[in-house]
Amino acid sequence: MAATRRLQKELGDIRKAGPACFRDINVDDTNILQWQGLILPTSDYYKHGAFKIQIDFPAEYPFKPPKITFKTKIYHPNIDEKGQVCLPIISAENWKPATKTDQVIQALVALVNEPEPEHPLRADLAEEFSKDKKKFQKNAVEFTKKFGEKRPPE
Amino acid sequence: MSNKDLSLSESGNDGASALDSKDHSDGMKRAAAKQLIEAYYFQLTDGCGDTDCSNETCASSPSFRLQGHDKNELGLMSIELFKKRARLCENQRNKIARLPASDENSPSSASSSTSGVQETASNVSPREGLTVLSLTSHAGPSHVSGATPKMSPSTPTKSCDVNFLDEEKLSEIVESCRTAYDWSRLIKAIGSVFSNPESLVKSFQLKTDSKHKKEETVEAGMDPEKDIDSGEMESSQLQKIEKRIRQKLVNTDSDINVDLESLHRSYDILKDIPELPFQNALINALRTLSKTLDMDLRYTRQIENIPNYLNMFVIVLEIPFLHSPEYIESAFPDFCKSMGHLPLKGQAKLAKYWASLGPDKLRDMVLSLQQLITVKLIDGESRWNQGWNLNSEDAITGPIKVMKILYYASMYGGEVDSKLILQEEKQILESESQLQHEFLGASAMGHDFKEPRIIPEDPLAVELGVNHADCQKPLVQYEDFVNDTLNEYISVETDYKYKLESEDSPDKFSFANYSFVLNTASKQASLYMDNRIQMFKERRTSIFQTLIHGMPPMPYLRVRVSRERIIDDALVALEMVAMENPSDLRKQLFVEFDGEQGLDEGGVSKEFFQLIIEEIFNVDFGMFTYNSETHQFWFNSMSFENDGQFTLIGIVLGLAIYNSTIVDVHFPPVVYRKLVGKLGTFQDLSGVDPCLAKNLQEMLDYKDEDFDDVFMQSFQISYNDVFGSTITHSLKDNGENITVTQQNKKEFVDLYADFILNKSIEKQFRAFRRGFQMVTSESPLKTLFRPNEIELLICGSENFDFFALEEACEYDGGFDKHSTTIRHFWEIVHGFSEEQKRQLLQFTTGTDRVPVGGLAKLKLIIARNGPDSERLPTAHTCFNVLLLPDYENKSKLEERLLKAITYSKGFGML
Repeated sequence: MAATRRLQKELGDIRKAGPACFRDINVDDTNILQWQGLILPTSDYYKHGAFKIQIDFPAEYPFKPPKITFKTKIYHPNIDEKGQVCLPIISAENWKPATKTDQVIQALVALVNEPEPEHPLRADLAEEFSKDKKKFQKNAVEFTKKFGEKRPPE
Repeated sequence: MSNKDLSLSESGNDGASALDSKDHSDGMKRAAAKQLIEAYYFQLTDGCGDTDCSNETCASSPSFRLQGHDKNELGLMSIELFKKRARLCENQRNKIARLPASDENSPSSASSSTSGVQETASNVSPREGLTVLSLTSHAGPSHVSGATPKMSPSTPTKSCDVNFLDEEKLSEIVESCRTAYDWSRLIKAIGSVFSNPESLVKSFQLKTDSKHKKEETVEAGMDPEKDIDSGEMESSQLQKIEKRIRQKLVNTDSDINVDLESLHRSYDILKDIPELPFQNALINALRTLSKTLDMDLRYTRQIENIPNYLNMFVIVLEIPFLHSPEYIESAFPDFCKSMGHLPLKGQAKLAKYWASLGPDKLRDMVLSLQQLITVKLIDGESRWNQGWNLNSEDAITGPIKVMKILYYASMYGGEVDSKLILQEEKQILESESQLQHEFLGASAMGHDFKEPRIIPEDPLAVELGVNHADCQKPLVQYEDFVNDTLNEYISVETDYKYKLESEDSPDKFSFANYSFVLNTASKQASLYMDNRIQMFKERRTSIFQTLIHGMPPMPYLRVRVSRERIIDDALVALEMVAMENPSDLRKQLFVEFDGEQGLDEGGVSKEFFQLIIEEIFNVDFGMFTYNSETHQFWFNSMSFENDGQFTLIGIVLGLAIYNSTIVDVHFPPVVYRKLVGKLGTFQDLSGVDPCLAKNLQEMLDYKDEDFDDVFMQSFQISYNDVFGSTITHSLKDNGENITVTQQNKKEFVDLYADFILNKSIEKQFRAFRRGFQMVTSESPLKTLFRPNEIELLICGSENFDFFALEEACEYDGGFDKHSTTIRHFWEIVHGFSEEQKRQLLQFTTGTDRVPVGGLAKLKLIIARNGPDSERLPTAHTCFNVLLLPDYENKSKLEERLLKAITYSKGFGML
């Protein structure tokens, strides 16, 4: 497979570096184009749980951007009920073939930690976030406890 | 002598005052009378400059009998002529009309003279006297006599033997005329040089070879004399040098050796002369020249033997005054008309030469021709009812013929597809047409085999080896050659008649043969005529055959289908026709649905097209894939369908054009390029897969040294088939082991694009194209239309039905369809122009293409993005979501919305 070499290397590099925010990386040997892993946000809203994500690389990678979906429900203005996320770095307009997956994950974690209500997918959550941070935090923490994955030990 | 002059002008004044006494009250009339008398006087002394002038009282006329007369006598005679209201030559009259009646300062400004050999030393002086006199009102005789003798000895000897002009000579003449306050020498020089082909050709040439070479070497090291000393702007210097070198390069292998720079400086000198006293001489000279050229190019063809004869066309078309009304009147169109008779080789050389001058120059020339055509059209409007016919109006057809040279120059100098690609395309076409011939040869047995109708290409295009399909970026945009006013006036029916006649007699002019001036609508009308005539012919042949062979008459292409099996039925029916006698496809289509009574007057076949297309483009049908990003279809490279189905859709598209039906197909532009025989290249990829194209471009632009590590790409690529499984393909032998590097990345990109656009769908496309060709190969489609116009022909222009969009729109975040802001939003949007609607679509969905099924299929969502604020609207192009703050009023909403769609592209507004 064409994209294999680069993806193998990217995967190896990430595993070697072992970032604290992206753990339990799981890649099927027969399909390097699909990765799964756990996001471990650090902000107060989400620090009590982990979130499972899936990264799908297109066959044309890196000439087309990967897609990210949340497999765990999350209370977040920028992530919709289906787990779709609108992350600028991997949008068709902004994607650069030289961008590494490692950078994409950093950007994703940053967005999860600090929602951007200016550009929401869920307008109701964005408004709550802008108007009443306390209420938002309470809801987010509760939601995370209810639906979030368990955080793996350090 | 000065006394004579004085007495002359005195007598002139006397005449005027004699007149004056009759009508004291009218001072204006007096001034006008004086001017008229002066005009008669100059006509007697200098003539109008037209050597063919038939006016007996004009010195230029061959029948002029007053050569020997004394100036005083002539002065008196001019008064007589005035009283008799004798004939005044055309350009003398012009002069009068142009000068304000009260202006007494420049009586000599517009008079001209060409011949006048008989007038030696004395010819200049009388006018001199007159000029000075009127300038200084009542100057004493001493002043006049002081000015005149100085001139007399030098003028006559030189003015007689001006047989060519160059910058040096011209500036010398202008200087001497300026100091003498007398322009007759210049007028004579211009009159004689510009009216004579030989003289004109010799003018403004580059210096002789030895000097020429020297200049070139100097230029290579930056010409110190001309470019730096003259104090030119630093920035423009390099450009200038480059331009000159380019020009020189062309000059070495063409027959044109005008020193353009020097020519321009010369014209600048002329432009600086106040009141442009040489105007009429130049105009008349050009008219004489045009007549000579016209006769020569049409009959004797001697001029071609003059070395560098093309020079004169360059020199004349550079004249900076050509746009002014006096020239547009007749000199400019006459010249264009004669130029239209240039032999092919000459046209080609001129085209090559002009192509070397760069886009700006070319565009200027095109624009001035367009201006000429438009003025002539508006002029001629009043003559509509008197049988005025555009096709035989030289003042319009002449400039169009000249524009053709520029049109091909523009393509010749533009960005043309690489030789390699052109060669490959040629090979493919040849092998295909061979197949087609064998196919036809076998199938046409038993029928009267007809010679296929061949649509000839323009000879100039063949000579230059250019073609509008091969040139995507001409020097001057294709649109600039279209004359909108002309298109309003053209009668396509009349033009088609001329086109048919032009096939036999080349003198007939048809706009269809100069289709670059036509807009798509006119071309479409012309194609429609052609198609109808062809159908008519087919019908006649079939009736003929009935009479001779007793075969049942088949005047129509009759297709009988059932709604349930429309594809299969159509396939069988059309394939039968294609096998037996493809020319039957060019009969008028007549569709019948099983069990339905409907006479096909166009409506039934329209439905037939629509049903077939819906079915065939259904993704489940497996022939085409749908790209949700571009809303367009592409050939399914893994299609299990046989070629026949692709041929069928090709035939259907061909029939749609042939029967002038617009169908709802959504192909990227490259498909239409490929239909006319082009191959897709990397620059076409963005229409098919914009994301891939953009990122391949990113890779091309990546200049860092860590390229290999970052991309780790081999010459092996992969893609998903319709079932989602990944397929790998090597772009070249052993591709998986060849790494893409900085050095070979361009090759990789080209191969990648070639694979997607050509190789992977070769079989399918060939079948598709064959079907299309069966219907259209004998129509002028390819010569009339550029690929993007063919697209317009098939699909019509995109229709933005924003009411359908509103109907299907959903709301989120607190908005609903009754919200004030939403109501305002739709009010504003419905008032948008097409272009603004396009921008709004681009902004919210990332593409301005309408999806299959119309805008209702877009599923636009408008979400409330907080209360009123200064923020601009934003969009999630991935989900067609438009985020709209709840602006406080309509005008703010409109202002913010327009700003957002005009200055941004959906994303990146964070």
